[in-house]
Amino acid sequence: MAYASGYFKTGYAVELRLVETRLQWTSLAALLVLLAAFPFVAPAFVIGIANQVFLAIVGAAALMLLMGYAGQISLGHAGLLAAGALSTGILFKETGAAFWVTLPASAAVGALLGVVFGLPSLRLKGLYLAVTTLALHFVVAFVGGEYETRRGFSSGIVIPPPSLGSFTLVEQSHWYFLLLALDVLVILFCLNLLRSRTGRALIAIRDHDVVAEALGIPVRQHKLAAFVISSTLTSIAGSVLAYYRGFVSIEAFTLYLTIDYVAMVIIGGMGSMLGVVLGAAFVVSFPHVIEALVRSIPWSQAIANEIFAVNYAAFGLIMILFLVFEPLGLVGIWRRVRNYFLLWPFRQTTVGGGGA
Amino acid sequence: MDRPGSLSVERLALHFGGLAVLDDISLEVRPGELLALIGPNGAGKTSVLNCISGLYRPLRGRVVFEAREITGLAPHSIASLGLARTFQHGGLFAHLTVLQNLLVGRHAHFRSNALWDGLFLGPARRSEIAQRDEAEKIIEFFEIERYRHSVVAGIPFGIQKVVGFARALAMGPRLLLLDEPSAGLNREGKEDLARFILRIKHEMHISMIWVEHDMQMVADLADRVYVMDYGEYITDGSPDQVLRDPRVVEIYLGSQSAERRHESA
Repeated sequence: MAYASGYFKTGYAVELRLVETRLQWTSLAALLVLLAAFPFVAPAFVIGIANQVFLAIVGAAALMLLMGYAGQISLGHAGLLAAGALSTGILFKETGAAFWVTLPASAAVGALLGVVFGLPSLRLKGLYLAVTTLALHFVVAFVGGEYETRRGFSSGIVIPPPSLGSFTLVEQSHWYFLLLALDVLVILFCLNLLRSRTGRALIAIRDHDVVAEALGIPVRQHKLAAFVISSTLTSIAGSVLAYYRGFVSIEAFTLYLTIDYVAMVIIGGMGSMLGVVLGAAFVVSFPHVIEALVRSIPWSQAIANEIFAVNYAAFGLIMILFLVFEPLGLVGIWRRVRNYFLLWPFRQTTVGGGGA
Repeated sequence: MDRPGSLSVERLALHFGGLAVLDDISLEVRPGELLALIGPNGAGKTSVLNCISGLYRPLRGRVVFEAREITGLAPHSIASLGLARTFQHGGLFAHLTVLQNLLVGRHAHFRSNALWDGLFLGPARRSEIAQRDEAEKIIEFFEIERYRHSVVAGIPFGIQKVVGFARALAMGPRLLLLDEPSAGLNREGKEDLARFILRIKHEMHISMIWVEHDMQMVADLADRVYVMDYGEYITDGSPDQVLRDPRVVEIYLGSQSAERRHESA
């Protein structure tokens, strides 16, 4: 479609491909080469940030499926991440299980919680649904807190890095490749879902649930499926996060974390998987950029203690600016730039309705 | 199958709070019949369709589709039994393309599940291709090939109406419920619509209940006309007979307003 000219399709299977033209294949290969070369040239600090972005992408993709495509607002995202991380932590502490046990177990816990989180969606919509998911966030936080204090882990649970045979996953650059692979798998899964009937059904439910039902889509079943898929992915992200940090404490999973993820989805651009990547990169790197900016001004010592406040204020401001001026998020900006250069140096005066 | 596409509605009553929307409505659609459902605004025509398709649950009465009672079934179950409908205001998914809208209509025909879809292997890929083929037949039937990949929000209103119709037919029904398909169409659009309706009737033998305000179209196309007003049955019969019925004329023109016009003249 976009970027393709003089390129003709000869079957429906060709039209289903995610990557179509040679140019797209080349750009994708170039991107992968760049990503693979990155940890060899970047300083450790930057690789650390990249890893955080990769981790955030898994959780943000899950939230995008639920909010951006299925249209179900959830404020329980931090609770689900916590559930994944805690399941891993508890399983390890109680039974000493290895990652190949804890990871699927955490995913299963996530799937189960997805049903619980999803049940209110069968009756409630919009803000009311958001409030019930918020309540569930606090339930998870309470249960986690109780476990930690009763078992005497009030300061958190320490988890050793995962190891397979003689290999132990410690180094940031090793994590980098693992998380990159995880991201590729998760994004592929989501893109596949979206180009097939399940994805279309979710979008149909988001746009017109009554019509979707009348067209033969079991709406309740699909809403639950959206919650289950989303929370399973989120729980996996939580479990991997626990191993990455080497430490689980329920205190890390506050409502601010939920807001961060919601911000990734909104700033990235609702209803776009590219938006997930852009949004996660933006939100994760934002505080580091602000910090660097603040440090670069000469009288930075005077406000060094206020840096968190500056951070939150700037973040809030950016959110408002996006909501007001660019509801389509970073993806919207990217599309406009792309469309501009598609015909450059000629100007495009009319823009057709929507784009892929 | 027993009398494919036949439907009978028996003594339907529907109340919204204290308001009687439908009162004792009974109607019958024979296999392959084109039944026009007419009446002034607020007569309860759409409510009848909503009760049939399961969106409203009637207070009393039964709906029987092909000798099987469907009253109280979930709308998606009714739809997958072979009963499709269009919506007065289109009800299209504005962010999806025309093709994707039709594929949503084919939902019940896919042999796949969310897991296969996520992997996009086996049944997911196969049914995606097979259903695309079916959707293309519908696209060809309605002559909307050039809009196939257009996002619905960006196409002209007249074409959107056609897409809404096409999506219902894509469901592969034996009974079609059409809710004012001609509303807002120009002359050319209406002529196309008439052609589609006739081809569906004669080539596909699909029964239809057709809510319509254009009496000329009703007179020209319908096998039988059913008239209602204020949620009540008025009369039914052949178009010629019904449209000349003084009660029907009165409903549409209003006896008092006619008298008043007479007095002032």
